[in-house]
Amino acid sequence: MSEQEYTLAELMCVAAARAFPVSGVVMAGMGLPMLTATFAKLLQPPGIVICTEVGAFDWRPPPDVSRAPVGIHDINLNDGSAMVSDMVDALGTLLMGGNVDLGVLSAAQVDRFGNLNTLVLGDYRHPERRLGGTGGNTEIACLAKRVLTIMPQERRRFVERVDFNTSPGYIDGPGARLRAGLPPQGPNAVVSTFGVFGFDTGDGGDGSCEMVLEAVFPGMDPDIVRLETGWPLRVADGVAEIEPPTAEEIALLRRLDPHHFYLTPGRY
Amino acid sequence: MSASKLMDENEAVARFVDDGDSVYVGYTSAAYGLCQAIVRAGKRNLEAIGGSVGPQGTFLFMGGCANRVRAGYVAAALRPGVVQEMMADGRLRFEDYSNQGIALMLMAGALGIPFIPTRSFLGTDYLRPEFRDHAGGFLRDKKWAEMDSPFDGEKVVLLPALRPDVAVLHAQRADEDGNVQVWGHLGDARWAYWAARKVIVSAEEIVPREVIAADPDRTVTPGFRVSAVVHMPWGGHPSSLVGYYDYDYAYQARTMSRMGRSMEEWQSFADEWIHGVRDRAEYIDHYRAVFGAEALDAIAVNAGPSPIAPVRYGYNATLRFRM
Repeated sequence: MSEQEYTLAELMCVAAARAFPVSGVVMAGMGLPMLTATFAKLLQPPGIVICTEVGAFDWRPPPDVSRAPVGIHDINLNDGSAMVSDMVDALGTLLMGGNVDLGVLSAAQVDRFGNLNTLVLGDYRHPERRLGGTGGNTEIACLAKRVLTIMPQERRRFVERVDFNTSPGYIDGPGARLRAGLPPQGPNAVVSTFGVFGFDTGDGGDGSCEMVLEAVFPGMDPDIVRLETGWPLRVADGVAEIEPPTAEEIALLRRLDPHHFYLTPGRY
Repeated sequence: MSASKLMDENEAVARFVDDGDSVYVGYTSAAYGLCQAIVRAGKRNLEAIGGSVGPQGTFLFMGGCANRVRAGYVAAALRPGVVQEMMADGRLRFEDYSNQGIALMLMAGALGIPFIPTRSFLGTDYLRPEFRDHAGGFLRDKKWAEMDSPFDGEKVVLLPALRPDVAVLHAQRADEDGNVQVWGHLGDARWAYWAARKVIVSAEEIVPREVIAADPDRTVTPGFRVSAVVHMPWGGHPSSLVGYYDYDYAYQARTMSRMGRSMEEWQSFADEWIHGVRDRAEYIDHYRAVFGAEALDAIAVNAGPSPIAPVRYGYNATLRFRM
């Protein structure tokens, strides 16, 4: 498809869905992550196993599903799930028990080590702006084996250090997760409205742990991505260009968001 | 034969919600009708509790009923408005946890143990002492603690047990003894039913005990734990209830989207939809008067699997214990 036929937000969801693994247990948070997980599941069935923190396990969207779940407590998650239960089972037994391979999250801010902020802009004690809060974002970031973050890119969102670390990535660099008492994590990824980022975790986990631009969207100049990043961004040698979405991908994505709940036209 | 616990929502709130109570307000089982009854009753100094506290909590904050909240997510704080101002100036005190945190704390309360360890929160800024002791808080060093496990030395965060004074919940069905059946994903409701000192349930349908006993797997709490049962069709509106109705986004956009922006906007909403009706039945009558007699059809459940395959909870009544 040519660039005029899809939005950056749609391209972000398509690129994120392509970054999904072909199997494994996925716990997707509210917002774009749930839309993208639903989309990814329908693109490559049976593949991933979708679970929610509210208590749906192995949700398989019926082929004719009328919408992606709006939020993670949408009652349509009960149609097509292998099991429904509660939050202690989902965020306790499933997640803390070590059974979630990939957490899919979004946030107000992300930093160079992949830490997320869902709670407050500015100092927590005297905030510039309070936000809704973390929901289950914190424990998914703490305890999922890897994390894929999907969020629009702006300089005020991609910051050197998040204002409040609600959801640890690599915290402040190599070894920090283990020192904090957390399981190691990765490889992780961030998909923004500009491109796809990985983290330099090194083959033996001994890299710098900082975010690296690995691929850009069609026509995107890495220097533009640098301008919208709040720290000196590393760009991978031979940074790739992402294949444009197909007409089929865009049609499916739009069918899953019939009321533009997630992908407001003109927003990005 | 126990006395019936059936009563209307105004009596249930008058008898079982006291000023100063901590109130679990639900998430997937959000009791909108009961929360509106709390606002109508003018209860004061309440604490709202839930993993994710939605617009039913906003009613309690804007209505002057709750001045504390303990949650992982507060919908009313997402956008600029009165609740953000209340959190900044101390009118609404808050303790930030997470969905898992609140769910585990309710479970610990239900189990009667003083705290519960988690691996969540490690490595986050929540654990920084200056944030734990923030001016808007009310728990200070009772909020959490860190320790190394005495068994293997691993770091854990200890969360205090949570026993709400009262839980208000909406359910698919109950009997007059208070046996409650809920199906579908439960969020943090399962343990709230067991942790709360008093439980008020509104239900779409009141059924005979025989209906409950024929399918006991679906019962989330036995009647002896429940203080009051309210028969309340559409009691979760404008939120959703598995098997009954979906989210009423159109209603929310038309009537609720501005209620948090100013006290004038709130008063306009509350005068019409909370104080302007006597109970949920009148609320639904008003809804039909405003939006049309058939308007609720637009959210009534019309898709999904049905019916379910029958199951049998049987046994052998002539079983022999000796050959």
